[in-house]
Amino acid sequence: MIKKIQRSTWIYLAVAFLLVLLPFFKDERWFLFLMIQVFTFGIFAMSYDLLLGYTGIISFGHAMFFGIGAYSVGIILDRMEASYTSLLIGILVAALLGGLVSFIAGILTLKLKNHFYAMLTLALASMFLFIAEKWRSVTHGSDGFTFRLPELPGPLEDHRNITIYMFCLVMMVLIFFGLRRLTESPLGKILVAIRENEGRVESLGFRIMPYKVIISVISGVVASFAGVLYAISIRFVGTNVFAIDVTLDALLMTIIGGVGTLVGPIIGAGIIEFAHHYLSSLADVHWIFERWIILFGIVYILAVIFFPAGIVGTIKAKLHKRKHRKIEAKQQNADKMAS
Amino acid sequence: MENTLLKLEQINTHIEQFHILHNIDFEVQPGEVTVLLGRNGAGKTTTLRTIMGLNSATNGTVQFKGEDITKLPPYHIAKRGIGYVPEDQGIFYDLSVGENMRVGMRQEDDATKERMDWVLDLFPDLKKFWKKPGGQLSGGQKQMLSIARSYVNDNDLLLIDEPSKGLAPVVVEKVIESIEKMKEKTTVVLVEQNFYMASRLGDRFYILDDGITVHHGDMEQLREDEELKRKYLGIA
Amino acid sequence: MELIINLAINGIAMGMLYFLIACGLTLIFGLMDVLNFSHGALFAWGAYVGIWAFDVTESFVIGLIAAILAGLILGLLTELIIIKPVYGNHIQQILITLGFMLVLAELLKVVFGPDIMAASRPGYLDGSWSFGDVTVIKYRAFIILIGLLIFIGIMLVLKFTKVGLIVRAGVMNKEMVQALGINIRLVFIGVFMVGSALAALGGALFVPNSGVAYAEMGMEFGIYAFIVVIIGGMGSVPGSLVAALLVGLSGSFMGYYYSDLSMVVTMILMFIILIFRPQGLFQVSGVSNK
Repeated sequence: MIKKIQRSTWIYLAVAFLLVLLPFFKDERWFLFLMIQVFTFGIFAMSYDLLLGYTGIISFGHAMFFGIGAYSVGIILDRMEASYTSLLIGILVAALLGGLVSFIAGILTLKLKNHFYAMLTLALASMFLFIAEKWRSVTHGSDGFTFRLPELPGPLEDHRNITIYMFCLVMMVLIFFGLRRLTESPLGKILVAIRENEGRVESLGFRIMPYKVIISVISGVVASFAGVLYAISIRFVGTNVFAIDVTLDALLMTIIGGVGTLVGPIIGAGIIEFAHHYLSSLADVHWIFERWIILFGIVYILAVIFFPAGIVGTIKAKLHKRKHRKIEAKQQNADKMAS
Repeated sequence: MENTLLKLEQINTHIEQFHILHNIDFEVQPGEVTVLLGRNGAGKTTTLRTIMGLNSATNGTVQFKGEDITKLPPYHIAKRGIGYVPEDQGIFYDLSVGENMRVGMRQEDDATKERMDWVLDLFPDLKKFWKKPGGQLSGGQKQMLSIARSYVNDNDLLLIDEPSKGLAPVVVEKVIESIEKMKEKTTVVLVEQNFYMASRLGDRFYILDDGITVHHGDMEQLREDEELKRKYLGIA
Repeated sequence: MELIINLAINGIAMGMLYFLIACGLTLIFGLMDVLNFSHGALFAWGAYVGIWAFDVTESFVIGLIAAILAGLILGLLTELIIIKPVYGNHIQQILITLGFMLVLAELLKVVFGPDIMAASRPGYLDGSWSFGDVTVIKYRAFIILIGLLIFIGIMLVLKFTKVGLIVRAGVMNKEMVQALGINIRLVFIGVFMVGSALAALGGALFVPNSGVAYAEMGMEFGIYAFIVVIIGGMGSVPGSLVAALLVGLSGSFMGYYYSDLSMVVTMILMFIILIFRPQGLFQVSGVSNK
């Protein structure tokens, strides 16, 4: 078991290393920007997977945390001077607000059944969207606003995009390992047990609510941080960060990549962002590509019916089977030898 | 036997990962009351539910009137002529007594009307509370409604699950009397824990224990056999 | 006074439209425990098909009938393709119907083009009546009338027909209905189709009032319909009507005095209901609500 974890860790680290090298070979602006999107949405989708995959909670309002993060850092950098202190304050405020909102929302709503929870989170998110649109003096309404980032030291400023790329990549890798650690801890095991059979866990004497609240707070903080990175990477905040599309993106990425795998959502983020990019650019070829979301919707529906485990989950199951067969074959060989 | 009405052969039933019934063999002769006895959790209710198709058998066959009904959906099984009175009576609480009777009616011909009149004479309470919501009836009345509802169709077999459960002795007596009268007109499989009721009504018995049929025979035999009763039914 | 009456009429008309979407949703949930997040898309489809058929045939009535037909067909397809594979699994149901909602909305743009579609009223429903100081817009009265007729129709069917009896019984205890020899799936497909048709009719009735149709309206109205179902109580048709009128009226009055707050007020209404009375205003026995 320990050996297996180590092997996968090496693979992940190797991939991360390749990603570090990537911008030195391909540094066009659009490409770096696309990769940054993949990283930020990878983080966001992981936070979604923590809810959906490990606890079986379906949130339709996850965008609110993303938006809270983006607006927190944006507003603070807009209002205060563009210094590192304000950036740090912005990140802290984002994390605190994200955690606080998910704590309150969790306590109010997590007791309810799945579909009520989904509805309520959707309603909450649309309230945040509403506030962002109407509280113009702070948020600039639906126009949104740009803000300045603190200047980077020397040569880094010249390669600003690469720096942001690296920062987001490192953050994604750190968060990935952190969350993986969390899901493999005893807490994570209890969460999976809750997902599988809530009643049984309860009858074993565990109180379910605190666990669900803890996980939704962690998920909220991570999602909020993803929003921070998103805002920093485009130096702009608009009401679109609160839109249902943001939640839907996370949902698509998680389902297509693989629910409950953490690495799946990152792969999902890569697929969706790149497919979005290429399919929209094909719109000149045929108008159907303008409506690329239809293709994704269909893939998504088929995935829910036929591959509920997603890409990573399906591959994992295959590997698991093969390993099983290998062990069996070994056993048979051993039996033959013995006789 | 040639005219066996219902025949279960080597039935196995799983509920989720649990193996509930193990190779159950079970036969019902027309015109008789066959009693399924056994402790709580022995698999009696699951046996009835498997016959109805509400739980599906993993293997084995259920034959009704010589036809294999194992894989049929519940509504087809019901239409073949099996009436079901579940343990919780299955009353539709917000529907009136009359509506509860009407939901179950597959035809509304003269024969049905005749059976309806007969069963309402048997349970005059139902007539009295015809417009009352089913949820407001007493426990005994709910039981009677459920039995009457299963009888009103042209069924050849009634499956009745623990009709004495939670009822006062006086009411149990009434239920026994009514099933005694029905016995003359139809065949009954009765799941019972109440040995008094079982012995009053039963012609034949099967004892289930841990999902296995451990004994069966004539009711006469069981009445005498103190040892068997103590071992499986906990009656001295 | 005349202002209040006008706002009330507007609110009741909107409430009727919410009711048309919500009553299908509530029955589908109550009967088969299926939560259909794509239900709102039928509203948008009804709106587009209604406008298109009205344009082509120049008959408003045919437009409404076309919308109903579209609803019936889409409802049947939804049930067979989308809902059937995921019976009994709530999480999958939520995920898949949400995805289908997106597909239906995008498909609308593929079929009818991505632009907003303009809608008009038939001449005989244009204009208004004056009663002293009070003017009543004809078209709103028409919506209210249709809504009421449909509500009465549904209640009569539920109360006095065998199918209605089976639907009501099925909401309380599906298993027993089957054990009585009734193929509940057939009944369910029927309810699903009728529910979808009513949502589509709602859409076709709505757009001549607002003047425009757009693909995203399905999502918006879908959310309102869910709020209505939650407030009214899952599985209860009269509950949907009461809740729909409540939401319609509160939207209309709040919309007039503080237009920004009408959505928020509706949400708060739902929050209060969910926290203090999660079963909704009207509870149907046998429907799980925790």
